[in-house]
Amino acid sequence: MAVKTWLLLPLSLGLLGAAHAAPTAPLQIEFELPTITQGQYHRPYVAVWIEDAQEKPVRLIEVWREKPDWDKDLRRFWRKTARADQPLVDARTGATKGPGRYRLQWQGDDDAGKAVPAGKYQLVIEAAREHGGRNMVKQAFDWDGSAIALDIKAGSEIGKVHLSRGAKS
Amino acid sequence: MMKTTTLVLGMMLAGLTLSVQAHTLTVVPSHYVQSKTGSFISVDVSASNMTFQADKGIDLKAFHVVNPDNTAGKVLSSYQGKRKSQADVELKQEGTYRLELGGMPRFFTSYELDGKRERLMGNKQEAAAKLPKGATNVVTTQGRNRAMAFVTVKKPSDQVLAVTGKGLEFSFDKHPADIVATEPVTVTMLFDGKPVAGVELHLSFDGELYRNEPGRIEHKTDASGQFTFTPATPGRYLLEGSFMTDVASAQADKLREGFTLSFEAALP
Repeated sequence: MAVKTWLLLPLSLGLLGAAHAAPTAPLQIEFELPTITQGQYHRPYVAVWIEDAQEKPVRLIEVWREKPDWDKDLRRFWRKTARADQPLVDARTGATKGPGRYRLQWQGDDDAGKAVPAGKYQLVIEAAREHGGRNMVKQAFDWDGSAIALDIKAGSEIGKVHLSRGAKS
Repeated sequence: MMKTTTLVLGMMLAGLTLSVQAHTLTVVPSHYVQSKTGSFISVDVSASNMTFQADKGIDLKAFHVVNPDNTAGKVLSSYQGKRKSQADVELKQEGTYRLELGGMPRFFTSYELDGKRERLMGNKQEAAAKLPKGATNVVTTQGRNRAMAFVTVKKPSDQVLAVTGKGLEFSFDKHPADIVATEPVTVTMLFDGKPVAGVELHLSFDGELYRNEPGRIEHKTDASGQFTFTPATPGRYLLEGSFMTDVASAQADKLREGFTLSFEAALP
């Protein structure tokens, strides 16, 4: 379920990004995996990536997973990237993680490490849990050097997401 | 809720005795997508009135699997149940598999005798020897019916989707593994490799038993052969097609071809 509502926050929240600025300030991605007490708990499979305006994946940021059998349950991630590019997925794969707050970065590069042109992009976070649900967050942003401060409200498998970036100095 | 397309012929072609009931044949895999080679799927094959609501198990003699490299796949075990039949298939290769029931053309000849419509199996020559004296309005139909599904392990491949240029076929504007709810899909109906008008298409989706309106879409192709639809919700869908045309051959007067294709529209 894509969370479409977003909120522009005062620039002060973008300071985190500004601290890392130079030469290009990365996009700071903070999100939460919620504590789930109902039913059997297995750590979710999570994929975080950036798509361009045509919804084509440009940069895989991180994947947290275990057995390949269940990779397909990250439906969009499977279709867009994983089914066709095993080496890329392997290179960005880490172990599954439990409830907590996590912080990732996007340096504005593509999967080949080249800086992407300015334009509209979107962050996608997809999470699926065995015996649990599937949740996807899709948030568009302008990648043109301007500051970014976006909050996405919590879903069932992905808690609050905060995107930030300091303006290019 | 009865279907308007009757696939009586399809049941005959699948090796069944001719039934008065009109049923649609479906091939429905337990998974359309797998992320590991060497995994298994169980395939349900049945005849039904409501889409995906199994009514009758089907003889699996005419069921076969085509591997991504176009070699013949292996059915490990199968069972014909009262309501559905099931076949286990191992997916050893990466790519897209075709699961198919039927596919071989069959002939039947219908005629009138003493005011009654009768029929017998056999092409024109075979029928000529068997027809009773006084039979009139003799029409021989060459029929072929297929029930299909595509299953993809890891990266989708195109070999099993290739158009042969023979009979009724379809060509999608995207790979079946790329059909996603809310995104439009265009299928082009082909006859002998060319876009064809007059193909009757029905699109239906899972769960008819649990809603008042089946929500089926009917479409008859124009000269473009095209049908564009947008699966509104993720889930399993069934596309049915049938086409009839006159032929000038030594074996038949009419040609009738039909297919069903089950597929899933993935979560966006």
